[in-house]
Amino acid sequence: MLKKQIPLAITFITGVIIVITFFIPHPPFGRLQQDALTWYSVIFGFTMLLGVDSLVRFHYRKLRRREKGWWFSIIFYGGFLLSFITGVVSEVRFGDAFNINSSFMYFYNTILIPLQSTMFALLAFFIASASYRAFRARNIDATFLLVTAVIVMLGRVPVGYMLWHKLPNLTSWILNVLQLGPMRGIMIGIALGTVAMSLRLILGIERTYLS
Amino acid sequence: MHISTNPWVWIAAILTLAIYSFLYKDNPFYKFAEHLFMGLSIGYGAVVLWYNSIIPRLWNPLAHGTSPSRFYLLIPIAIGLLSFGIFSKKYSWLIKYPLAFSVGAYAGFSIPVTFEASIFEQISGTILTKQMMATPWLAISNLIMFVGVITTITYFYFSKHHKGLLGKSARTGIVFLMLAFGASFGYTVMARISLLIGRMQFLLHDWLGIIK
Amino acid sequence: MILFILFSTITVKAFDTPNDGGGSITIKAYNVPETVKKALVYRKTEGDTTYTLAGVMSILSYRYVDADSTIKNGKPYYYRVDFYFPDTVISVVSDSPGIAYAQWYDKSKTSSLIFLIVFSTLVLVFIQLAKKDPEGLYIRKIPALDAIDEAVGRSTELGKPTFFVHGLLGITDAGTLAALTILRRVAKKVAEYDTPILVTNFDPIVMTASQETVKQAYTEAGRPDAYNEKNIIYLTYEQFGYTAGVDGLMVREKPGAIFLQGYFFAESLILAETGHSVGAIQIAGTTAKEQLPFFVAACDYVLIGEEMLAASSYIGREPVMLGSVKGADWGKAFLMGIIGIGVVLGTVGAILQSAGNGALMNVFEKILAFF
Repeated sequence: MLKKQIPLAITFITGVIIVITFFIPHPPFGRLQQDALTWYSVIFGFTMLLGVDSLVRFHYRKLRRREKGWWFSIIFYGGFLLSFITGVVSEVRFGDAFNINSSFMYFYNTILIPLQSTMFALLAFFIASASYRAFRARNIDATFLLVTAVIVMLGRVPVGYMLWHKLPNLTSWILNVLQLGPMRGIMIGIALGTVAMSLRLILGIERTYLS
Repeated sequence: MHISTNPWVWIAAILTLAIYSFLYKDNPFYKFAEHLFMGLSIGYGAVVLWYNSIIPRLWNPLAHGTSPSRFYLLIPIAIGLLSFGIFSKKYSWLIKYPLAFSVGAYAGFSIPVTFEASIFEQISGTILTKQMMATPWLAISNLIMFVGVITTITYFYFSKHHKGLLGKSARTGIVFLMLAFGASFGYTVMARISLLIGRMQFLLHDWLGIIK
Repeated sequence: MILFILFSTITVKAFDTPNDGGGSITIKAYNVPETVKKALVYRKTEGDTTYTLAGVMSILSYRYVDADSTIKNGKPYYYRVDFYFPDTVISVVSDSPGIAYAQWYDKSKTSSLIFLIVFSTLVLVFIQLAKKDPEGLYIRKIPALDAIDEAVGRSTELGKPTFFVHGLLGITDAGTLAALTILRRVAKKVAEYDTPILVTNFDPIVMTASQETVKQAYTEAGRPDAYNEKNIIYLTYEQFGYTAGVDGLMVREKPGAIFLQGYFFAESLILAETGHSVGAIQIAGTTAKEQLPFFVAACDYVLIGEEMLAASSYIGREPVMLGSVKGADWGKAFLMGIIGIGVVLGTVGAILQSAGNGALMNVFEKILAFF
């Protein structure tokens, strides 16, 4: 009962109330959706602590057992404490951790941002390796993918125009017609699938998340 | 050539190279950058959560607010606290309460919002208007798009055998899907290459000062 | 300031803002000459002797929504709008006071309500029908889901672990919930084959749900003792930090099977290519349409959009689940019908209109306005 029925009832009641309040602007219903969002973010805050706890303990285990590469866990703790402490110190000194002159933002801009952009830029290499494999078209479907990929790729660089001056036009036609149609189909499918899943969740048919 | 004398540029450059070294193989430099990245980002995330969420949404209304409805916030706090049940073997099931609330709220939100934001928009975009048939070429293009939408939807038809007309339509849908995926793929390639150019500029200009 | 109270054709109306929770009055001006430079709205209520500035009216829409916190429902408010022209200022008072009310029904959402009723009815009816007659329910083959057993099996043969990488959205995403269903299937197979599993999480709520899911799967497989909570780890709530962490784990642990399931962003290809480089068999699934091309190019199997959302029905094969899928399919047929009718009406209407008969076009325009 406590472990299954009540959680299912909570899902049902919350779901139904929020669907209904979507159509009722009158107080107190009109603001319930907004309140639910606030509630969700508060709950999220608590579970975030669980996440941090999980990661901190993962590295603690590595350190304690001197597992292979244990000293990298020290780097992890160093990074964690560095950003956390500078965040608190910056808040005390500037009244706002996100003040542009704070040490917290300085670390963010000089260490975290380059790490993020470099990780992101790895994509240039990976898209090349993925293209290489995709371009050895394994079957007829992959060939279709290959054809539009090559046209669009060429159509967006000057070489494409030099090869055939209408290639940029063909590219925009492919993007606006051939790409848009199926993408709309995918979105309609996902939307209907999402609604069906939401109904299953509210009705308690889909309950994997409660196991 | 004017090599940078700013130690922070050096740190950023070394970390950039450390991440790139991953392309060769896993190595201590990458591991160093990876662990530093994870540590920094989780600390950063904690600070963001605290100052952007806990303080304005919880602390300020409870400590400084005057509205009587602010005490409703004690309910999500109570629900949130239940998630700490996972620290005990006996009460680990308490986590199901915050989960149940989050999922219920989501399901309730998504039903009407999906209709408004996804379905209506896609349908009204597909129905041909006068402007969409202004020239024969436009009319043909939009007709092709319409076929693309319909055949793709039939590919996602699950409860019937894909044979006969439905089978042919779903098969056409796959062809359309592949053409669309190819177009997306091709479109993104250049954008990704420009990311690399951005990092190279940092290394060769900001750090080593080789290029101006 | 010199005020010219001139005779002008400008009229101002103040009325309750429709479809809201009250506390707001809309002020709209009509017949405003285009030369107007700015328009200021002033408000007073019963008992006030002078007007006070309420705000600036847009000179594009000639509309101002006064939602000041002092506005009370049911109380009359009088408005004056000062229109500034290059050489004069014209003050116009609203012809009647505006009174704010809260509405019980938002009329602008009627189309959503109709669809909600039609669609929910379809799903509920088919769920009921499925309960009565579970025979004859069918779901088409989804190869990526059939491949789960094969992938875990191969990973076991190679003596390598299985990886399950969650996407970047929380439990409030349909794809994440579908991913949990797939995780349950994967974890059950892993428990049966007694092979290690590692589940990486971006979102802490998803991490706790994953722990519950995997624990349950191990229990179902009859091996609750083998469940280890430490195999379901949280990495970080930062996109590329997560990517760096997952990539690092992939190259170090060299998994034999990788499941990339949920909503991904640009990192999709970094993860899929790294997974490919360590020789893993990869099954991806996402509702992020922008990332599908990369998964299709780099993975062995891909659950495309709605295929992922149908996973629970496909794996569980419970009649009620299959019924809901059938209901959603009828929803698709319904939408395709609407699109088809729209296309026919639009095309024929346009042809008839050019021939001088605009009646059908009017019907079409009305249908379009419904959305």
